[in-house]
Amino acid sequence: MAITRIILPRLILLLFVVLGVAVITFTISHLIPGDPARMIAGDRASAETLENVRRNLGLDRPVVEQFTIYIGNLLQGDLGTSLRTNRPVAADIRTFLPATLELGTVALFIAICVGVPLGVLSAVYKDGPIDQIARTVSVCGISMPVFWFGLILIYLFYAKFQILPGSGRLAMGIVAPERITGFLLIDSLLQGRFDAFRSAVYHIILPGFVLAFANMGVITRQIRASMLDVLQEDYIRTARASGLRKGMFIFNYALRNALIPSITLLGLALGDLLYGAVLTETIFAWPGMGTYVVTSIQTLDFPAIMGFTIVASVGYVLINLLVDLAYMLADPQIREV
Amino acid sequence: MRRSSGEDYEMNGSKWKSIGVALLLASTPLSGVMAAQDVLVLARAEDPPTADPGVEISNSGYTLIYAAYERLVAYKGASTEVGPELAESWTADAAGLVWTFKLANGHKFDDGTPVDAAAVKFSFDRLIKLKAGPSDAFPVLKEVEVVDPQTVRFHLTAPFAPFISTLAVSGAAIINPKVMEHEKDGDLAKAWLAEHSAGSGPYRITSWERNQSIVLDRNEHYAGSQPALKQVVIRIVGDVSARRLQLTNGDADIIEQIPLDQAEALQKDASVVVESNPSMYVNYIYMNNRQPPLDDAKVRQAISYAVDYQGIIDGIMLGQAKQMRGAVPSGMWGHDPQGFQYTYDIEKAKALLAEAGKSDIHLTYTFSQADPAWEPVGLALQASLAEIGIKLDLQAVADTTKRELVANGKFDMSPGAWTPDFADPYMFMNYWFDAEKMGGPGNRSFYRNTEVTALVKEAGSIVDEAKRKALYVEAQKLSTQDAPYLYIMEKNDIFARRAAVKGYVYNPMLIQVYNFGTMSKTE
Repeated sequence: MAITRIILPRLILLLFVVLGVAVITFTISHLIPGDPARMIAGDRASAETLENVRRNLGLDRPVVEQFTIYIGNLLQGDLGTSLRTNRPVAADIRTFLPATLELGTVALFIAICVGVPLGVLSAVYKDGPIDQIARTVSVCGISMPVFWFGLILIYLFYAKFQILPGSGRLAMGIVAPERITGFLLIDSLLQGRFDAFRSAVYHIILPGFVLAFANMGVITRQIRASMLDVLQEDYIRTARASGLRKGMFIFNYALRNALIPSITLLGLALGDLLYGAVLTETIFAWPGMGTYVVTSIQTLDFPAIMGFTIVASVGYVLINLLVDLAYMLADPQIREV
Repeated sequence: MRRSSGEDYEMNGSKWKSIGVALLLASTPLSGVMAAQDVLVLARAEDPPTADPGVEISNSGYTLIYAAYERLVAYKGASTEVGPELAESWTADAAGLVWTFKLANGHKFDDGTPVDAAAVKFSFDRLIKLKAGPSDAFPVLKEVEVVDPQTVRFHLTAPFAPFISTLAVSGAAIINPKVMEHEKDGDLAKAWLAEHSAGSGPYRITSWERNQSIVLDRNEHYAGSQPALKQVVIRIVGDVSARRLQLTNGDADIIEQIPLDQAEALQKDASVVVESNPSMYVNYIYMNNRQPPLDDAKVRQAISYAVDYQGIIDGIMLGQAKQMRGAVPSGMWGHDPQGFQYTYDIEKAKALLAEAGKSDIHLTYTFSQADPAWEPVGLALQASLAEIGIKLDLQAVADTTKRELVANGKFDMSPGAWTPDFADPYMFMNYWFDAEKMGGPGNRSFYRNTEVTALVKEAGSIVDEAKRKALYVEAQKLSTQDAPYLYIMEKNDIFARRAAVKGYVYNPMLIQVYNFGTMSKTE
């Protein structure tokens, strides 16, 4: 049931999204004045050299033909070759995406683990000191620029107290574990490489926390608001009156219901995390998609820009699908319709 | 209740203890991070695109190529003159068309294979076949001939004065022909060489984690004396503040791309040395000579007199630059120390403009953020030109767009930066003033003066250096009068290193290139 009703239409939609995104990015990248051949061969390249580079890259063909070739390759899973690095874009994405996903996952985990309890406590002890603290934290999280916050943390924990590293994914001199998932935390554990695991943990703390912070603020605020709503409901009052223990009803009844409106938020938060990663990755020299995309845009590396956009849009559609599925699990009413 | 809270207390106690232990542990990897004495860490903003000598045109890529490969000739220490490297001697025929090189014995690639004439031929054939940016330095190369394993001969189609100098460029690196084992789909091993090396230089690339770090290890077969640095690590650290902290913390030994104000602040740290050396990186402004009113030399001269050169150097560059004098920068032969220099003289500028009979001039300055000085220079120019009644609009565009607009002559004024690929005034004079090189290739102000074109063409085709110098000086004299460009400044090359890093030799031809093989650390 759920498969036909929810998943299948989304998968069909996905195809259209990919195609649409491909058309739009392709058009935009070809409308921007600038010659990728010149970027590769250098400004002072002779006309002959430019012509040769263009021919090698297929840039001398009509735009429509270039697009047809691109889509044809895309359908076979080939995202083209990066103009800048001469490497297949798919390989570049395989290299950089796991780093970004790992950072995003850890950040989301931190954001939820801190944000949800803080939101709950804030609602339960409304207007008390905990609530005040939670509200301050959430306002700071939402309004503090990632760049500034990141630098403050690097200054304190790396430069001043020297307890955490300030850049990269692994300490120098530690050989990276063999690549299985691309997640250093997982790969190092799978191979029993505890030195690498430890180093990876230390390295992800600061960027993970910086990236988590903004979303933590949003989550805290959202959970607090919906908890306050839920706590007003009749069934909670009944539950309370019937003598259920506080912790029990808060977690079993109230939170469960308060979480439903937060699911969309979490989906959005995940998207936000990938987006916010650009800044965080720059500050922490995190070798992820963020830095890759920025350099690709600067050098007009069409295949790389398009490859990233397509992968990102597929990601968004999949996240939305997950959100819908999570709704179904959380709210029986939706399941039964 | 009591007991349970007691348990809580116990748990909390042990929790704090474990957090303490975790923090202690956390501090250990940091102390281990401090690089060993034979490992040098260089932190820079971006990953080099590739390390393929046949393709790469960025200084960031040259860092790797110069460390991993040798060329037939090399710049001698800090000078722009070339001396032997793989070639121990060479001769040219009277016409300058045939060059014969005798290879030195004992040079080996990093797999132990000797460097021979066949490898030289292979490298140049590959360069010409790839026909990417670096091949442009060899416009007249017809053929490379293997005479015997230790002798190689270059045949040119026309005399090319800077030929010997071009053999010192990154693209002229000699590659081990065995790389062809890595060839895929006829790419001449381009994909493989993009991230690996196969040269006879002091180092070889042993690992490349994209956007993270590149590790260079000693080439065990290197012919020169064994380098003190066992390993060179290039770390990619995008943010300048983070790079600076790494340097002061000792995690990085050299950091690049530091803004001038930060360089000033770093100078106060005794453990750090800010290297600021005069370079041949010039900032100048193209004035579109094809477009009215800039097609009038008097208007261009007026603008040249309206620029506050020293104000720009002191205010924007914090003194880390000097005003250009002619096209050929100081430090390269062919520079004319007596050459005419425009000075800031508003009255003269006004008079010239009146002489030209032009008023109500409205121009656009098209710039990008590729060079941090371009925007403030534009603002300074806007203020100066307003004083002589010229309205200047600032138009900020993406760098790729700016390059395209300039290449196609769709601009009034636009700032540019130029560095020479090889140590010869040809790199400036023939590129900037030859009427046949208009647009992208170099003559970006679309300047046409047949006399100047003839002078630079002649200077580019004869071998007698004294005669060439006279021709270039004459061409500079004529062109400076025509004022096709605004000659703003020669910028200093700035980076910071830890004081413990010894043996660095600055060569103005090798920006972002380090003599790792002869550098060391004393910490």
